[in-house]
Amino acid sequence: MSSSTIQVTSSNELSVPGSASRLLIQMARRDIATLFRTPWIIISRSLAFIIQLFVFAYLISRLVVSYPNYFGYYAVGAVVSTVASISFIIGYDIFEEAEEGLLDYLLTLPIPRREFIIGRSLGGAVRAMIYTIPMFVIVAVVESFANPISILAALLDLFLIAFGVTGLSITVAVSVRSANRFDVVLALLELAVTRASTALYPFVALPFYVQALAPFSPVSFAADSARQALMKSSLDVLGLAGLAAFVVIFLGLGATFYFRRLEGGVYA
Amino acid sequence: MFANFCIDLFVTAATFGNLIGSSYFLRIAPGSNLITAMVAAFQSGRDIWREKYIKDLASYLLTLPVSRRLFVLSRIAGGVARSLVVTIPGTLVISYLYGVLFSPRLIEAFVIVGVFSLGIVGLSIAVSAFASTIEVFATVRSAIQLYLSFLSTIFYDVSLFPAIVQPIVQTNPMTWAMQAFRALQIQGSTLYPTAALVGPSLTFAMLGALCYLWYTRL
Repeated sequence: MSSSTIQVTSSNELSVPGSASRLLIQMARRDIATLFRTPWIIISRSLAFIIQLFVFAYLISRLVVSYPNYFGYYAVGAVVSTVASISFIIGYDIFEEAEEGLLDYLLTLPIPRREFIIGRSLGGAVRAMIYTIPMFVIVAVVESFANPISILAALLDLFLIAFGVTGLSITVAVSVRSANRFDVVLALLELAVTRASTALYPFVALPFYVQALAPFSPVSFAADSARQALMKSSLDVLGLAGLAAFVVIFLGLGATFYFRRLEGGVYA
Repeated sequence: MFANFCIDLFVTAATFGNLIGSSYFLRIAPGSNLITAMVAAFQSGRDIWREKYIKDLASYLLTLPVSRRLFVLSRIAGGVARSLVVTIPGTLVISYLYGVLFSPRLIEAFVIVGVFSLGIVGLSIAVSAFASTIEVFATVRSAIQLYLSFLSTIFYDVSLFPAIVQPIVQTNPMTWAMQAFRALQIQGSTLYPTAALVGPSLTFAMLGALCYLWYTRL
């Protein structure tokens, strides 16, 4: 998955360091290309989403009579939980790169560490968005979401959760050394973050022990805020603030841990 | 895997129990354990794939003084045993919920999980024989898991499906494994659903064995 290299189109690109934004975009482009070079992952996740929505959500919503329009609730939440799941993949990529020795090559590139790290987080978030937007369009069509401002607000929620989860995933990838432990930690974290939230299940229906955790889940912030925007055409300021805090905390932590792993604590 | 089972049971099933009714929690509870069994059973195919492409162990294993047929049977049996071991806590929890934990019917619960796992181990070995990359293996595994989970009677009755899909649901091994567990709950006989499960499980196990034998001849 992570075996791609950065394309150098002219010799000047190596000898003359580009502007920070250009290098940042270059790093992000690499991560986006990496995901699309493995179409099987996209196929399997898309298939899972379609079956989840048109089989599971459709049939289960006929049984859930105590909660009106559960299908609509579930559909928006499924997009949010999918974007969160896809954003976790960047951690697997970074872990693999370190194991395969590709990280050593990447570090020899004429890109400052700061752009390198922010570019990777941005790439992880943007590719999750690119991947999820078709699903979002399906849900928007099925549920007749047409207000452009509401759609933009929901997309902002999706981008923020993608950016934050990317930071979280990078933090785990660079702080856990054992491959087996890393697989287990990331899989459990993904399950906990998406299931112990209000993305797929209404808060009132959650068991009491999940109700204690769900309000603090970033996926809850994103799902509730996206639903507020799409289904009630209003802005969930608290949700957006919670998401922004999540992004700042985990992007900061991810960057710090990544710097430490790369430079032994010396900041570039 | 036990953590996965706990999240499936105590978050997903408990929440749907609150949304639909407390009896619904008990209705879908065995699904959590059977999904864990399915994931564990698929590890057998993943191991075979890794032996061939990652660890380069396939050639060594095939030089062992064991006939190919015995070797493939032992691999399938090992996969089933592993799945049974992994699901012991889950099977005990479901048996407790269904009131058969301290009765001889507990054995039936393990038999259901074992027969169900047999088919999945066979399927996973068949997939591993043909998948050239881990992405292909993971995609086919994901498709099979979606079929077993969502096109079965774990969450809803077969009558809720459109008529055209109902035969697919009725031939799904997960449907019969669920029926067998539910028979335990109502103190009914598990003979018919388990017998119906044996057919597809043996077919998948034979398919897995044949594919593995074909793969070892290459």
